[in-house]
Amino acid sequence: MTTQVEALSALVATARGARPQSLASREAEEVLNITLAVLVELAVANDRIDRVERLVAEVSGRSVEDLRDIRYDGEVALERQAATDALLTRALRIMLDPRAQAGG
Amino acid sequence: MKVRDLQHAVLPRSSAEEQSRQGAVVALRRFLNRHVRPRNVAVFDTEAAPAFAAAHGRQPQSPTEIQQAFLMSPSYRLWSATNRAAQEMIWVSVGEPIYRDLDRMTEAARDLAATPGKLGSLALDPTYDPSPEVAGVDIHLQPGGYAMDRGDNDIVAGALYELGGNVFSFGQGIGRGDSKAGVVLRLLDEHFGGVRPKRILDIGCSAGAASAAYAANDPEAEVHAIDIGAGMLRYAHARAESLGVGVHFHQMDASALTFEDDSFDLVVSHNLMHEIGAEKRRAMLREARRVVRPGGIVIHQDIAIRGLPTLVQQVERDWDTHFNGEAHWNTYQNADLVADMTAAGFTEAEIVEHDLPAIHGANRWYAISATKPA
Repeated sequence: MTTQVEALSALVATARGARPQSLASREAEEVLNITLAVLVELAVANDRIDRVERLVAEVSGRSVEDLRDIRYDGEVALERQAATDALLTRALRIMLDPRAQAGG
Repeated sequence: MKVRDLQHAVLPRSSAEEQSRQGAVVALRRFLNRHVRPRNVAVFDTEAAPAFAAAHGRQPQSPTEIQQAFLMSPSYRLWSATNRAAQEMIWVSVGEPIYRDLDRMTEAARDLAATPGKLGSLALDPTYDPSPEVAGVDIHLQPGGYAMDRGDNDIVAGALYELGGNVFSFGQGIGRGDSKAGVVLRLLDEHFGGVRPKRILDIGCSAGAASAAYAANDPEAEVHAIDIGAGMLRYAHARAESLGVGVHFHQMDASALTFEDDSFDLVVSHNLMHEIGAEKRRAMLREARRVVRPGGIVIHQDIAIRGLPTLVQQVERDWDTHFNGEAHWNTYQNADLVADMTAAGFTEAEIVEHDLPAIHGANRWYAISATKPA
């Protein structure tokens, strides 16, 4: 049984040739590539959520639109806000890093 | 005629997540092609040319200078970097399910090739060293290239080509119902009096989509197809058998066909000319004319990137040469194909260039055709 990582590694290992760069900075171009890959994974995750929503709608007898329109306030809203704050803190940690840039 | 999205035994069984990933890459490429790339020519005037002029004290003149100017534009550079990344993600999105499901696919291909009474055939040439001008490059960044052959039974190159080709094409705006073979068959109807060729040769068949379509269109026709890659041909053969159509696949160089003179009613190539250099293209056109019978028809179909009106548009379109492993893109874009067909033995009166609408979607295709005098 080939794992997903083995499959990806097998594919990546066969690529040949030099990789031309478009942006002025190689680092920026590589970060762009990572960001675009994450964007694609977000679409994949959204599709997964959509499948679950449709299944829940089917099981619960409510419409998908109804399920998507559920809003929480009070405790649940505060819990979600805290989770979003934590997510942003993880993602933007570099902006809070107290360390000065090391010299070349 | 349906070609894309046909289900057969050699396709990987992609999971729902893998299909989502392919769909997201299609959407990303569609976004770039519809909304970002069309701005490149305007960006040349607003960013690229002024930046070049500021650095050199004059406007860019030659194609090389225009290319340099484009790369001085931040908007162009961002599009270019994103387009390259999106092209690489095509292969990741289809390569993962292929390598993950490869054992089953390989077994299915082996079984189909070994089926008694099968409809077509496969003739590989172990002494043939695939032409390095095609085999040595990861054309359109397909990992391993057209001729990747990882040993007996390897079908990865063909699987990557079929799946990656679909993700590419849908992102390019090419419709799911489009078919290059369908375009040629419509041309036979509209331009060649509805002729029904009984012996057909498909040169540079890759994963065999068009070859299978010709065989499906007329089960009485004898369809032969050649390509340089064993991995392409094993896959194409198994795919055709799984689809229930008979095609005879041969590993052979387009510039040195082993078929006899005057032996086909119709000789076609699909999207081949832009993948080979000028010398090989001329030899291929000569060989196509040699093997078509008197009264027979030659049709070479390819992408519609020729005849762009300005140098800036030509250089913009030439991105693939520099960033997409398409070494011969520019050679094809600017080739005098009528002169090449004339050198191949046709008279100018016998040669017609066609600007053809796709069967489905807004895309257009280029073709050059000729009838060999009876």
